[in-house]
Amino acid sequence: MLQRFLDPATLASISGLDLVAKTVVDGFLAGLHRSPDYGFSQEFAEYRAYTPGDDLRRVDWNVFARSERLYLKRYRGETNTQLLILLDASASMAFGSQAVNKLDYARFMAASLCYLAHAQRDAAGLIVFDEDVQNYVAPSARQGQLFRLLHAIEKAQPGTRTDFAKPFVHFLDFTRRRGLVVVISDFYERPEVIVKTVEPLRFRGNEVILFHVLDPQEIAPKFGEPVLLTDMETSSTLEVSPEYARGEYRHRIDAHIQALGDQSKGAGLDYFLMDTGRPLDEGLREYLSVRQGRM
Amino acid sequence: MGFLAPWALAGLAAVGLPIWLHLLRKHKTTPLPFASLMFFERRTQSSIKHRRLQYLVLLALRAAVIALLAFAFARPFLQSRLAALAGGPKLTVLAIDNSFSMRAGERLARAKREAAEVASSLRTGDKLQVLAFGSQVHMMGDSAAAIQPIDATDTRSSYAELSRALRSIAQAARMPVEAHLFSDMQKSSLPANFADLRLGDSVRLVAHPVAERRAANFAVESVNAPRRVYGSGKTRVEATIAGYGTEQAKRRVSLLLNGREIDSKSVEVPAGGRAAVEFLPADLPFGLNRGEVRIDSADNLPEDDRFYFSVERAEARRVLFVHEARNQRDALYFRTALEASAESAYALDTVPVEQTANLAPQKYAFVVLSDVSSAPANFETALRGYVRAGGSLLVALGRESALRNRVPVFDESVIEPRYYARDAARFQTAAWLDTGHPSIHNAQRWDDVKFYQAVRINPGAARVAARLGDDTPLLLEKQLGEGRVLVFASTFDNISNDFPLHASFVPFIEHTANYLARQEEGPSNYLVGSFLELRQAKEQGAAVEVLDPKGARALTLDEATRAQNMPLAMAGFYDVKRPNGRHELVAVNADRHESDLDAISADTLTLWQNTAQGRQNAASGGEADVPKPMEFWWYVLIAVLALAVAESLLGNRHLTVDSEAS
Repeated sequence: MLQRFLDPATLASISGLDLVAKTVVDGFLAGLHRSPDYGFSQEFAEYRAYTPGDDLRRVDWNVFARSERLYLKRYRGETNTQLLILLDASASMAFGSQAVNKLDYARFMAASLCYLAHAQRDAAGLIVFDEDVQNYVAPSARQGQLFRLLHAIEKAQPGTRTDFAKPFVHFLDFTRRRGLVVVISDFYERPEVIVKTVEPLRFRGNEVILFHVLDPQEIAPKFGEPVLLTDMETSSTLEVSPEYARGEYRHRIDAHIQALGDQSKGAGLDYFLMDTGRPLDEGLREYLSVRQGRM
Repeated sequence: MGFLAPWALAGLAAVGLPIWLHLLRKHKTTPLPFASLMFFERRTQSSIKHRRLQYLVLLALRAAVIALLAFAFARPFLQSRLAALAGGPKLTVLAIDNSFSMRAGERLARAKREAAEVASSLRTGDKLQVLAFGSQVHMMGDSAAAIQPIDATDTRSSYAELSRALRSIAQAARMPVEAHLFSDMQKSSLPANFADLRLGDSVRLVAHPVAERRAANFAVESVNAPRRVYGSGKTRVEATIAGYGTEQAKRRVSLLLNGREIDSKSVEVPAGGRAAVEFLPADLPFGLNRGEVRIDSADNLPEDDRFYFSVERAEARRVLFVHEARNQRDALYFRTALEASAESAYALDTVPVEQTANLAPQKYAFVVLSDVSSAPANFETALRGYVRAGGSLLVALGRESALRNRVPVFDESVIEPRYYARDAARFQTAAWLDTGHPSIHNAQRWDDVKFYQAVRINPGAARVAARLGDDTPLLLEKQLGEGRVLVFASTFDNISNDFPLHASFVPFIEHTANYLARQEEGPSNYLVGSFLELRQAKEQGAAVEVLDPKGARALTLDEATRAQNMPLAMAGFYDVKRPNGRHELVAVNADRHESDLDAISADTLTLWQNTAQGRQNAASGGEADVPKPMEFWWYVLIAVLALAVAESLLGNRHLTVDSEAS
């Protein structure tokens, strides 16, 4: 029943991005079976001896009163994970044949991930890019970070064409801490270029997840008649027959997806194809599964 | 090629529907935004062209289906002679008009010439039948040699008779009949009812007009002259001159008697109208006279410029009136009535019955037995023979004749004399009259006649023409041999009745006399094609001698003794000698309908031809060997079906794409 609220078409009717994120995450978590690994609460996990530099707010002062030793109280779900979301806002992301276009879907995805990270007190940051960096919110777990992130996601508008090489040089400067890097894009670039560009993030100990957002019409275009197509990024036009779209194009896009998945895996990157026609929970499950590996 | 339902071609406008669907509705120029064209290539253009070609083929198929459908509904046909030529044998009928009007100019010669040309163009296996028709149709033969012997006649042509003959021929032939009509196509030859022109189902009529559509012609249309003139009576001859399609003209009209011109006048004939001429010949010879009215028309048909009539100047015919010696009154009244009416046509010889023993009745026009008690036996025998040979007898019955048991010659029994004056009724009137009898023309005039005495007789096989109020037969007639016997069951003496005092008496005596003397029979001239009555009863009598206008015997010996009548086949004078010894001259003229040379219109001729061609092959006669409309709409429908299947197969590929895309 709650799964219905994760449907992109339903989310599109919700006005506020924060409400969208809350709806997605709460619905997603409530639908999960209770699991120690995926638990998320103030439930006590262990004590750890204080070392200089630790946050004094985490010291269990009751234990110090009894034993005069400083221990830090740790809870489940509390990690040092830092989440950095790289959101592609190129012009091609504005394409959509469903109720939501790819950029909206990517926004929902990014907002949900930010909300989830905030709920787990993970530091979360955001980079919005097309052929250049449009917006940057530095990772942080401080109060108000979620709203900054959501505001930045809200402001993301379709820009120009995608160029991975240029913005990713700057990403390396932004990621000083190890963490989790989520790239949400339609990846209209050759797989080797993408992997080669993203791969350096992985060398720094980051877990990198590639969310490949595609519209169903991009995966399997269906035209009843010859159409004149316009590239949303380059504005070039091409007349396309239904037979070609049904045959040759599908082979090529499938080969592209397959190659991107294979090469990502070869480079230690997690790749996940997000069909904008499917619910968001699959993407969230992928994120949590990767995050668990880091705990 | 033509169309039987050309209005269905309006359906061709529906061809615009697939054109609109394909070329206008399908043609989208608005580009569709797509995320990236990274995986599309320029070489897909050939695919587009291929697909466009398929669309054009589909468009052509759909347009062809609609166009052919409209074409098929318009019921196209081919007027091909090839189909006819490919058929089996046929019967070619050459019908040549040899009526009176074909005498004009070279019409008959041209008709025979054109008929010979058609006969020479027959295919092997075709049969031929040559007909000559006027008022009747004559089979002349089944070879081209039968064409030349056809001569012009004086009869009137009848297309109804020809159509009837063609229907019969078509039924008997059991093969297609192609009838070639060679005629001047006179409008006057058409029947009153167009249905009489209906041809057989497998008859195709080909008309060969041999005359111009309209020709001017003058003719003597009719002549009115008395059949007989008695004694020194004057003769008046009235002639009508008619112009058919003529301008106003002056014509000279001549009266000829026995080949000699008696008188001539000039008359102004109005344009297309008639003019009357009257002649009063002074010296008409006694005996039979051959009369002729002639005009100088100078047109193509001189044969109708003369009109024959016969007129006979004769002495008054004698009538034998036999009566009882002591009774003179009836003779007085009868004579007075006879002389008052019939312009010296009769001379009455009154003879007492006692003096009749040696009389020969044959020299009298008719005999009257007026209330005689008994006649000499030899006279009665002579009377009987006279009547059987064609003579006539009038018997008046009164008190004297009632004494006998039988009516003389009439041979029926006397029942009783009736004396009404002694009854309470005092008199009887004629309660019932047969106005169809020649003696009684107007029944109104007999209303006031009072009958005081009458003799009731057994009518036997006799025809009763009048009855009294007590059902007593008053006037009876019986045929006896060639003659007739009339019985009046009362007298003419103004004692048994007051009939002689009434106005109806004179006409009764006049009509009765004419009837008995056979003066009323026959006009002064006849039309060609009409029949001349030769004898009254079926009983064989003496031979009738008839000489035709050429002087040849018109009847064989057997016909002369048996024939009741004979057709008058040619114009001129027929010389007739009847069994009763009377000699007659019968004038015969061609029907003046033939003088109107106006031809029937092309529309009427087409209608006549179409009475058969609309139903070709309907009967069991088989294939008609004529170039008839060959419909092929159902071949077109088969083509439509094939195209529809092709369209479905081709369109199905597009439909598959459409369903996936939707």
